[in-house]
Amino acid sequence: MKRLGKATAAAGLAAALALTGCSGQKLEGGDKGGSGTVTLKVAFWGDMGLDKLKAEYEAAHPNVKIVLNSGEYNAQHEDLQKKLVAGTGAPDISAIDEGFIVQFRSQADKFVNLMDKGGADYQSKYLPWKWQESMSPDGKQIGLGTDVGGLAMCYRSDLFKKAGLPTDRDAVSKLWPTWGDFINVGKQYVSKTGKKFVDSGTNMFNPVLAQQPVGFFDTGDKLQMDGGPKVAFDISMKAIDAGLSANLASFQPNWDQGFKKDQFAVLACPAWMIGHIQDTAPDQAGKWDIAAIPGGGGNWGGSWWTVPSQGKNIDAAVDFVKWMVAPEQQIEVFKTVGNLPSQPDLYKDPAVLDYKKEFMSNAPTGQIFAATAAGLKPQYLGKKAGPTRVAVEDVITQVQQGKLKSADAWAVAVKDAEKAANS
Amino acid sequence: MSLTQLRPSPQHSAPPVQQSRAKLWLYRFDTRATPYVFIAPFFVLFAIFGLFPIVYNAVVSLRTWRLDEPDKDGWAGFANFTKLLTDSDFWNALYNTFGIFLLSTVPQLLLALIVANLLNRKLRGQTWWRIGILLPYLTPVVASTLVFSVFFARDNGMANWFLSLVGFGQEQPLDWRADKWSSWIAIATMVNWKWIGYNALLYLSAMQTIPKDVYEAAAVDGAGPWRQLWRITVPMIQPVVVFTVILSTIGGLQLFNEPMMFDQNPQSASGGSAHQFQTIAQLIYKVGWKDLNLGYAAAMSWALFLIILIVAGINAGLTKRIGGDR
Repeated sequence: MKRLGKATAAAGLAAALALTGCSGQKLEGGDKGGSGTVTLKVAFWGDMGLDKLKAEYEAAHPNVKIVLNSGEYNAQHEDLQKKLVAGTGAPDISAIDEGFIVQFRSQADKFVNLMDKGGADYQSKYLPWKWQESMSPDGKQIGLGTDVGGLAMCYRSDLFKKAGLPTDRDAVSKLWPTWGDFINVGKQYVSKTGKKFVDSGTNMFNPVLAQQPVGFFDTGDKLQMDGGPKVAFDISMKAIDAGLSANLASFQPNWDQGFKKDQFAVLACPAWMIGHIQDTAPDQAGKWDIAAIPGGGGNWGGSWWTVPSQGKNIDAAVDFVKWMVAPEQQIEVFKTVGNLPSQPDLYKDPAVLDYKKEFMSNAPTGQIFAATAAGLKPQYLGKKAGPTRVAVEDVITQVQQGKLKSADAWAVAVKDAEKAANS
Repeated sequence: MSLTQLRPSPQHSAPPVQQSRAKLWLYRFDTRATPYVFIAPFFVLFAIFGLFPIVYNAVVSLRTWRLDEPDKDGWAGFANFTKLLTDSDFWNALYNTFGIFLLSTVPQLLLALIVANLLNRKLRGQTWWRIGILLPYLTPVVASTLVFSVFFARDNGMANWFLSLVGFGQEQPLDWRADKWSSWIAIATMVNWKWIGYNALLYLSAMQTIPKDVYEAAAVDGAGPWRQLWRITVPMIQPVVVFTVILSTIGGLQLFNEPMMFDQNPQSASGGSAHQFQTIAQLIYKVGWKDLNLGYAAAMSWALFLIILIVAGINAGLTKRIGGDR
């Protein structure tokens, strides 16, 4: 008995030593941020399909702990900006959207230059313009692309049926090869049903502008209102004058209500929009379908993964980013949330090509979006593209509110855009 | 007390001089310095969170600091302030801020006075009423503004429904956000709703210190309730009135949440499609975090700070005149 007692005591002591030794090691590792446990904070918005990936990565890398922080789209970008200014508190990895990438790439010194971390190998994998958009003028790469937002046109087949329009996606695509045709279809719809056709004039302006070879700014960052913006503005004015617009601002409560109350029948939609429709109007499964967008092509949104340089675990963060943009994970994300990868090789992958989205009446979303993304022509986004867009959108809203006549609106738009470009 | 007891002690006990001197010093320190130590936490916190930002803001306002063009950083002198003088956006925001401020502060304080006067009588369920008027103040401003935002919606909004009941806007619903006057009224309504109860409660507590016999004497002399309110109550609670006027001036001129969340497109911070209801606080936010021009935004903040100082000073002076100086 005595012996046994001694043995247990010894075993207990050994176990205790092992335990303390183990935890001591862990603590040390955490402090150094090197060999032990590493915590990576990942900031993004909405649902980027990371829940499953996080579990997978943590299982394969027991020393890495991933903390997901999903917030509101604008708030996340603003928060990142503030923490970059403060020099502390930024996440280890942050998603940045196309709407903000110009703002952040001009602060490239606040991010890890991925060219120093073997990023050059990735250039050939990406759509060239996607690679270029996150690159600073002096050749620093601040992010690796995750998704792109090639445009298609989502429509309510049930409402189309009521209006006596074709409902099959190929037949609908044939209805509107150009935006002029699109407006004519809209007029038919409005006269038959008495309801509005599009959600707002700004959601006509933006896709048309995205299809133009030159957007607000030329590559010299000079405002070019008479090119693409004029074309897009005129089309949006025509649509408003024809009474097609329900005048709802996107991503606002009224807009979400508009889905449910059938206030519009079509919506320009990039791949990621499907997730939003699904979340906003889950009861409309099978009522939506996807056709080609008038004019062909155009991109709306899409994100990059970036690593702010103030982080303590930069190498671990870069490793995780590289893993996230690897083909298997990109396809996984596409399947769970629908975000289309930005690496053209994946568009030939059967997992993407054969994918059908049940919510969108079983439309082959993989094929549709892959086709638009592959055919996209790059458009340069100027430094001031964001504020300029807001200024012009505000003018379109003024026309919709009846504060401004459509004939006088262009002059105001030019004036406000110039002001925003020089702000 | 302790000091008077202590004074004779060094004379009585001569030998341990050193110890009692130390004690004396300690007691002196206690009586002279302790009050300062006790109030120090406020001033330390104020220095960190109040004074430092103000000074730092002044420094930033004299610099060019653009987040999107880091290479342009440097001293700018008064360039940001001279730009301010010719910036039509700034003057428009100033105009909006004062418009909404007048529409909110004046009715708000008058209604608060009347509500407090009513609550100062004998009522059934007195406490219930008194707490009830404070409820809007307890509601988080974001939550209430969201509700008001739906209330003032163009399509299916309750405000438009009420209007249609009395025969307005049946053919074309009123778009509250489209015009200056309608958006100002909507925003002022939110502000008034939130703050009337709070101010009423302040007035009420002041009113309860007024002796009853003053009113009795006035009633004997034939003064009606209205006259009693303006001739007795208001002059006698004048310090509280001055306090609420200054506080609502500061709050009104810093108005941010309500116009921000009322906007159709809040992330643009443009305060309506033609800046109909963009306040200065909103413009500062837009210039700083949307246009990424922190230097200019800091100059605007300082201008706003000075404007508030001046207006609050004028208002306090005016209210003092209205009150007891007659």
